[in-house]
Amino acid sequence: MFRFQSFDDDCTLEEEEGLVEEEDEIDQFNDDTFGAGAIDDDWQEEHARLAELDELVRDGPPGPADASSGDLTPAGSNANPSALPPPSSSSRLYPDIDERAGGDLAESLTRLILGSDPAIAGVGTASSDRSHFPPKLSSQAPHLSALSGQSLMRSYQHHQHLLHRGPAPLSQINSHSIWENSMGFGPVNSGLVNQKEDKTLMSIIKEVGLPNRPPTLSREEGRDLSERVPPPRSSSPVIGSPPVRAVPIGTPPKQPMSQVLNQQNNHPSAIHVRASVPLRYPPPFPERLSPNNLLSIANSPLSHPPFPAGVGPVLSQIQRAQLLNSQVGQFQRGPAPPLLQGGVGGFRPFFGQSGPRMGPHGPPLGHTPIRHNTTHLHPQHRRMLNQRMQNRGSGDHVGGRGVGDRKNRDPYSNLMTQREKEWVARIQMMQLQSTDPYLDDYYYQNYYEKMEKRQERDRDNRKEHTTKLITPQVAKLEHTYRPVQFAGSLGKLTVSSVNNPRKMIDAVVTTRSDDEEKREKQVWNKRRQILYTVEKMYSLLLEVQDFEKKFLQTPEHQRDALLEQHKTHTLQLYNSLREKEWDDRVSDEQCLMIMSVRKGKRLISRLLPFLPQPQAAAVVMGIARNLPALAKKDKQDQVLCWLVEPVTAVIQSMSSTSLTDLLQELQGREGQLPLVLQNKFGVTLLYLILSEGERMQSSDPNCQLMDDNRWTELVFSVTRELLKVPSSALSSPLFTPPNLVSLFSRYVDRQRLELLQEKLQITSLSR
Amino acid sequence: MNYMPGTASLIEDIDKKHLVLLRDGRTLIGILRSIDQFANLVLHQTVERIHVGKKFGDIPRGIFVVRGENVVLLGEVDLDKECDQILQRVSIEEILEEQRTEQQAKQESERLKLQAVKERGLSIPKADTLDDF
Repeated sequence: MFRFQSFDDDCTLEEEEGLVEEEDEIDQFNDDTFGAGAIDDDWQEEHARLAELDELVRDGPPGPADASSGDLTPAGSNANPSALPPPSSSSRLYPDIDERAGGDLAESLTRLILGSDPAIAGVGTASSDRSHFPPKLSSQAPHLSALSGQSLMRSYQHHQHLLHRGPAPLSQINSHSIWENSMGFGPVNSGLVNQKEDKTLMSIIKEVGLPNRPPTLSREEGRDLSERVPPPRSSSPVIGSPPVRAVPIGTPPKQPMSQVLNQQNNHPSAIHVRASVPLRYPPPFPERLSPNNLLSIANSPLSHPPFPAGVGPVLSQIQRAQLLNSQVGQFQRGPAPPLLQGGVGGFRPFFGQSGPRMGPHGPPLGHTPIRHNTTHLHPQHRRMLNQRMQNRGSGDHVGGRGVGDRKNRDPYSNLMTQREKEWVARIQMMQLQSTDPYLDDYYYQNYYEKMEKRQERDRDNRKEHTTKLITPQVAKLEHTYRPVQFAGSLGKLTVSSVNNPRKMIDAVVTTRSDDEEKREKQVWNKRRQILYTVEKMYSLLLEVQDFEKKFLQTPEHQRDALLEQHKTHTLQLYNSLREKEWDDRVSDEQCLMIMSVRKGKRLISRLLPFLPQPQAAAVVMGIARNLPALAKKDKQDQVLCWLVEPVTAVIQSMSSTSLTDLLQELQGREGQLPLVLQNKFGVTLLYLILSEGERMQSSDPNCQLMDDNRWTELVFSVTRELLKVPSSALSSPLFTPPNLVSLFSRYVDRQRLELLQEKLQITSLSR
Repeated sequence: MNYMPGTASLIEDIDKKHLVLLRDGRTLIGILRSIDQFANLVLHQTVERIHVGKKFGDIPRGIFVVRGENVVLLGEVDLDKECDQILQRVSIEEILEEQRTEQQAKQESERLKLQAVKERGLSIPKADTLDDF
């Protein structure tokens, strides 16, 4: 049972003096931030000391017990006036202190924290050595944790000697440094060496200082909390909400005590860790809690609202420090300590290099390079990651050690435990789950698909890259929640939880129909109207574009319907462009309107490949017809050239008559051609047409291009114009098709040809 | 150990020295100790670094808990490269003084500019009134 153990009267005073004189050695900067806790120490020294303690412990409880009980008295007397809250305070945390029977309280605390983070225990034991510190501390958190930790230790291990254990002196420092400002802590060494006795509640109280804090636990409450897990979350009933778990999601599983004890017994000297690490037995609970859990534990017994907000996380901090360190202790039986020291910072390179070596070391280390929760990665992606992993593993072997050594010096490393990292990673991964990867992560999917195709193209023989993409999908769950209704009751139950927040108003969503939108168009400005039209067309276009993908994914019987849908969409798209009455002519007005916006031009360029030939041709005709106007509007954006590619495709599939028509359109009105020639796109278009015509003529002798004189006429006029137009007014095209010369050679005489060549060359060079 | 292969995650950055730029313009340099899913950061031994011209000054701040939404960017500090700095380190008072001077100068120039523009009858439109699609 817990017993207050007194310290020697002398010890206390000695300690304080010792502390004071060694204050100077402490790094002041550190002190300002954290108090005197963070001190580097030599692990060997630490080990030696603790080994001594080990033996001391084995001498038997009684001896140390007496010593510690003696310790308590002076500490208690000192603490009483200043530290203890007035008895009238409802939360008498340490009623026992006076009577030296604080064992009860401690015990209850122990039980309270039973299901909690071992770090708490660690902290408790850690802080228990600080009996000699003046009770200047205002923070209560370490105190609580200290108490609980202590109790925990006792009740679980039934090892009173543990109390005597100079528990990880440096871990103490760690844990306390954060809250104890200028406590005048001496270097751990001195403190620990001198103070081998156990710290009792009194000492803890003394050092922590209770004055302004409402005690966090009452006796009764403490007693009731035996074997208690954190209280159930005050959330809604199970209906419609996630199952209320006694232990919050993410809590690491509890491990059986026997395992813990075994570990302790087998590795009593698992102390070869950095001085900053608690060089003592691993805590009774090797498991760790998620931050949530820690907080809930910290806060659950707190019945008093005015508990300082900082306590919760602070508790966790200490706990984590302790826990971390203790966990680190578990890893000792592997590779050399220097590598392992420093916690995660040192671990990371360690893991990276010697993953296989760490195999036998327990769950936290047994992770595969690619974690299971990345199954939703694109297979291509996963391959790349594997490669990268291998490269890193083989390449960094030497480099990592140096880094690891450096990390060893960091006494604060691993404040964030492995569990917590996994917890965060898991949350982040959960966010990546999607029921429809193409909807949620379109660019990612496309990117990797393109990469796959590229690789496939580059290495045609490698069959493995041609695997079809199968992304695992999370099943779509029905999440509609209908509020619970009881027959005969008035209204609906007002229960709400995270997943079904309460419906305050039965509002019905009404969307404004398009007609109403149009009615309001007088209010809109023209530009927005255009944009609105463009946006609508875009959504149609996207449907059309995704058709192929959807087609592959739909089952056979639905494919026809999908095809129909696709045709309708395409038709709709075209309809929005064309004239009301004429099927084969694109509405100039509409076309102009759409093309006056950059977005519209983009739309058309993406749209063209999907239109059937005649319709696409009509669109291109429309463009050609209105080119001057378009060119003028495009002055600011200069993006007409987006159209070159799709237009090229269309032209190349055109018939000769339509080509002639197109050329005619391009020259349509008087004075249009010079304007066309001024514009880069116009020139390019012209060249495209001419080159296509030439190609037709040269490749197919039966081509109908020469059937009527139109083509010839048109080419003549073009050449005339080209010669007439000054070079300055001639814009350079995006590219010059090579067969233009042959074209012109058919129609013009030598002299003119040379002139033309000169001009064209000039223009092509001036690009 | 790669926690989140193929993703950007801060888990790998824990216990490393980082430079964090906040939305209010402050620059913090500290060891990243803890994160959560919102990229809230716990910085340890944090130092607020004020840069003015070629000089900088450090104000030790201790532990910072930064709400994730206020971080503009953060990056790991290369400890080797940190040693050879072109910038000159000065005392805190000096750098604060420099900062004040710089602020004043900037305000002054802004005022003059605005005045000049007004004199010419022009007006500089604010960003939010520009029509952009």
